Amino acid sequence: MSIIQDTYTLFIREMLIFRKNIGAGIGRAIIFPALFIFLLGSFGSSPKNVPIAIVNYDNTASSLNFINALQSGNNVQVISSTTQQQAMSQLAAGTVAGVVVIPNGFASTGLHNVYVYLDNSQPQSASVVDAKVAAAAQQFNIKPLDPPPPSTVSVVTNYAYGASSNYLSSVVGGILVMVAAFGSVFGSGFTVLSDRELGNLKAFLTTPINKFAILLSKVASGTVQSIFSAYVGLMLGLIYGATLTTGAVGFMELLWIIFLVGLGFSALAITLATKTRQIQSYALVAQSITMPAAFLGGSFVPINLLPAFLLPVAYLDPLTYAVNAVKDIMVKGSIPLSALVFDSGVLIAFTLIMLTLAFMFFKNTSEQL
Amino acid sequence: MTEYAIETENLVKRFANLTAVNDVSLKIKKGEIFGLLGPNGAGKSTTINMLLGLLSPTSGRVLVNGIDVHKEPARAKESVGVVTQETVVEPELTAEQNLMIFGRLYHIPKDELQGRINFALDLSDLKEFRNSYAGTFSGGMKRRLETAKALMHSPPVILLDEPTTGLDIQNRTKIWNLLREINSKQNVTILLTTQYLEEADQLCNRIGIIDHGKMIALGTPAELRQKIGMSTVIEVSADKEELVKVGQIFKKVGLEPTVLSNKVSAPGGESAVLKVEKLVSALTASKVKIHNIAMHEPTIDDVFLKLTGSEVRDSTGEMTGAGPAALLRGR
Repeated sequence: MSIIQDTYTLFIREMLIFRKNIGAGIGRAIIFPALFIFLLGSFGSSPKNVPIAIVNYDNTASSLNFINALQSGNNVQVISSTTQQQAMSQLAAGTVAGVVVIPNGFASTGLHNVYVYLDNSQPQSASVVDAKVAAAAQQFNIKPLDPPPPSTVSVVTNYAYGASSNYLSSVVGGILVMVAAFGSVFGSGFTVLSDRELGNLKAFLTTPINKFAILLSKVASGTVQSIFSAYVGLMLGLIYGATLTTGAVGFMELLWIIFLVGLGFSALAITLATKTRQIQSYALVAQSITMPAAFLGGSFVPINLLPAFLLPVAYLDPLTYAVNAVKDIMVKGSIPLSALVFDSGVLIAFTLIMLTLAFMFFKNTSEQL
Repeated sequence: MTEYAIETENLVKRFANLTAVNDVSLKIKKGEIFGLLGPNGAGKSTTINMLLGLLSPTSGRVLVNGIDVHKEPARAKESVGVVTQETVVEPELTAEQNLMIFGRLYHIPKDELQGRINFALDLSDLKEFRNSYAGTFSGGMKRRLETAKALMHSPPVILLDEPTTGLDIQNRTKIWNLLREINSKQNVTILLTTQYLEEADQLCNRIGIIDHGKMIALGTPAELRQKIGMSTVIEVSADKEELVKVGQIFKKVGLEPTVLSNKVSAPGGESAVLKVEKLVSALTASKVKIHNIAMHEPTIDDVFLKLTGSEVRDSTGEMTGAGPAALLRGR
């Protein structure tokens, strides 16, 4: 009887238990990514329908065209104001994020001027207004003047993430890798501990199976649960507005990377679980490894924004390569074959090291029941 | 083929600073029901774990059906059914699924598996609960399921580590009947450990009493009863200062007392009731203050008292808490 058959039997067991608790499984798979995608996805992305007040002292076809240009797209929502005074009080009250004043003679003077007042207490919205006015101005070959005092213009031009539409896909990509790693921690390590506590491990060891079948079945079920978590996360991300521009090929590449993350982290989780006695201490140790690994790996913040002293750590973090590959696939739309091979290679090496450790620690498990 | 189902030769297991099993040699014949009797921490579970191949002995050999457990673990394990001390059923699986998984792990051929599952459900009286999750079962039902699980692959030998500890009378009787049945009908050799003298007495053909890792008595229940003089026990508890006086009164009425930490105890012999009557009047006459006077059937405590001259360690609290006892249980 082969170890593969015993592994398969134990894997069936894991899956039956997983199916029984599918509600909790789905809940866990939804909560993490939903929370992070919502929080991170909203933070730093372009706000939509930012209200601005426009005071049009010109009232010519030319100035109306300019206002139409401002309104194109849904970045800003234009509220007309009759006097500058009224508009400024709206700005002060925070009901609008910016005021655009089109002076009389907008079209007649040689150089078109508009005045822009921005509420820089709302930097996100302010920068949207600023960018939109600049874009419309370019179209009309006019120059938005810094208004006369009291000027509060403060233009934020540098985003950490760039306010592109790819931002959300990038966030979702990072989160997918993180939930895959978490899925392993829950799917394999925890069950090793609960099986030991309930005596199941001992019961398995009294059957005529190769004990490494137990280990392999845990790795397999952890990997499946990783993929499951990541899949749910991806669906949530797509619903929320992320894109997977590469289509079916991209999906397969994504699956491959997530599979490797699941494999490596399941082996890591089992290594930790064989070395911890209590579920609480396992949870603590596992989380204090996975969470920083996700952070340093670029799940939340691109690693080029990390301080210099953390960079070497990031390069040692297998999730860096997973996030890199996933973001290439999801954001850039394609991953060069060489990059895919390299990132996969790092993840495979990590998996092999972790599996070796897991095998080493698991060898004496019956002496430590 | 050997005539013995289980043989151990000079089995020794040492942990860091504790010899849990000390030179135990056992020969259990095929078809026997053998009881390994001892208090918590005596070395029962360590012995069982070595028989199961879970622990490697420090020295000595274990043979099951003539197969060396530590040289050919897979072959040896295939011929053994196990009921561990902790009731091990998976609460998140149904009774049938529990059996299915273990049937497969014991490599029961596919075409026989369903038949064996039905047999096991029948045996454990759980047929109507086959699709219920084991987590919803009572302690007794779980134990029965686990016992049936151990019997499913028709092993010629089964090992049970305290199979009835913590069960009510009804479930205990059900397990006993089940064990008797498979022993008589299928000639299955049974080795069980127990803390209950009554259980060993009722169920077993032979009993081995183990303490501090050493076999201190071995024989049929009848032999042991004779050796230990398992008659009714008379006990008087009193304040510490009074115990010596109570002991003297015991002697006066013809009893052989042992003075313990909080009571005086003596085997009642043949006319125990008569002796108690005498004892009561003597105690009343002497005006010694006593707390309680009792007669009871001998328990494991009494056996140990007789064999080792000391109380069972757990009951004095000596072994509770710190390491060894827990270690021996494999936890």
